[in-house]
Amino acid sequence: MQLSEEELSILDGQGGPLKRKTLEFIVNYATVLGADSLCRVSKAHLFCGAHHYLKAVRSKDMDEVMSEMWFCSPDKILFDAVGCFSQSDCSPVDHINWSKMGCYEDEFRENERYLDRCLKAGVHLVGSCVPYMTGFIPVRGEHYVTTESHAVLMMNSLWGACSNADGIEAAFCSAVCARTPRWGMHVPEGRKGTHLFSVTCKPETVEDWDLLGYAVGLRLPPHSTPILEGNVAGVDMLRLKSCFAAMATTSGPELCHILGITPEAPTLAACLSPSGLEDRIEIGPRQLREAREILCDQQAGEVNYVSLGCPHYSIDQISEAAAFLGGRKVHENVTLHIWTALPIKAVADRCGYTKTIEDAGGTLMVGSCPLVSERWPAGTRAMAFDSAKQAHYIKPLTSAKVFFGNAGECLQASISGKWGR
Amino acid sequence: METIVIRGRGAIPGIASGPAMVCRETIQGWSGIDETTGKVIEKGHPAEGQTIRDVVLVLSGGKGSNGWSSHFHAARIRGISPCALVLPKIDSRTGVAAVVCGVPTVVDLQEDPFMVIESGDLVTVDGTSGTVTIRKASHDG
Repeated sequence: MQLSEEELSILDGQGGPLKRKTLEFIVNYATVLGADSLCRVSKAHLFCGAHHYLKAVRSKDMDEVMSEMWFCSPDKILFDAVGCFSQSDCSPVDHINWSKMGCYEDEFRENERYLDRCLKAGVHLVGSCVPYMTGFIPVRGEHYVTTESHAVLMMNSLWGACSNADGIEAAFCSAVCARTPRWGMHVPEGRKGTHLFSVTCKPETVEDWDLLGYAVGLRLPPHSTPILEGNVAGVDMLRLKSCFAAMATTSGPELCHILGITPEAPTLAACLSPSGLEDRIEIGPRQLREAREILCDQQAGEVNYVSLGCPHYSIDQISEAAAFLGGRKVHENVTLHIWTALPIKAVADRCGYTKTIEDAGGTLMVGSCPLVSERWPAGTRAMAFDSAKQAHYIKPLTSAKVFFGNAGECLQASISGKWGR
Repeated sequence: METIVIRGRGAIPGIASGPAMVCRETIQGWSGIDETTGKVIEKGHPAEGQTIRDVVLVLSGGKGSNGWSSHFHAARIRGISPCALVLPKIDSRTGVAAVVCGVPTVVDLQEDPFMVIESGDLVTVDGTSGTVTIRKASHDG
């Protein structure tokens, strides 16, 4: 592997033990991938917080836990500095309304300890899965890392930026040593499309695009890059936010070309793999219906938890929810949570949307979600989501019924306490 | 007993042997593997209910969460890990998982292991030389 003088000096310990350990990890990772050099990372989006999986390390010492689970170091090393612009992803706790999630005070405080260490290391505590809506916008050709699967698809596909899915350990290591393997999405030949999806249904709403992403993912083999063609006009960032979240749930692409829309796909020839198409697949109305049937419990019934905002809601989605809820009351048996990022909540506060939601009996939550926190109100017997990703992943974790629908259906269920089309 | 050798690229050095657990279907990240038991919990997955503990995991790739590797990592810390990995084609999710598991790993195989290896075959993975040796189990009955 070709390493620069600077990289060799870091491996020699010139930048301190944390930088050396993290670069060693990235070099090992590059070796496994078969990369022959590293590239410089300018941005990192990190899964900061006292997440449940960290409990595998039986230690009360936070630095021991971070060392093992974030940096793969059995020896304790202090996370004291990042080497590039860094933002935090979701944590398991809303630092404002943690008690409404069902979190205990000690869990809130433990999470704050982890986040405080990240802050001191230079990570901005944005706490969101939608970094591209909160100032984390890599340009075409810029190398970044992220711990959020749909964010890779968004930033690679829409702006031509470069990241692999990697993993939490690699992302933290890249954040510190500011390097990642020059491989996959970081090289032009790794970004070509392999599978053509003809969209013959007519996706219009966010829900349609959510189901479209889910259906594409169900049919996309590993190591593939989809190309969407057909009825794709009218798509926007909000629709793609849901589409890519679902696609990155049922499959593992790191880039999705959309003919005539994404910058690397002005034509099929421009984005196609030199070896040609591996398959052509049609996504019509039937495929969307089938996706919905997988995601939504078919028996109508009571609902006592409604959660919106996966991925985190934008300000216009919050505004629409507030408009729906204005003058109405959430059913006494229902908990309504709407999730967003802290900077977006600040705008919602300023615009009065937060108060409208709260007056109706709902709560605008920040920094987490039911999936990341694995928390929903005690005694929940049926829950409703406007996110295929959330419904898909939570189903195996609960004996409660799981309903999937559009935001209007979910909000209506929060008012009536019942689900049914 | 029939012995077959297939070759690939050695990614993590070392030698380990164990029964094969063959997953032609990818395993998802969230809700894919129970970190406390090593069992596959993805609904409808062909290997649902089987554990990754001490097997040679032959896996087509990763999908879903970018936290994919962390579930293997958390299981490994609890003493639950495949004894070796065979990854027909490397991707970024499985690449990080291979590093955190640290077990002998062969990737980018020259032939399709799903045509050769069946669950239960005794497989030896040499991550130094890049060879995978399969001793076929009797699948009769």
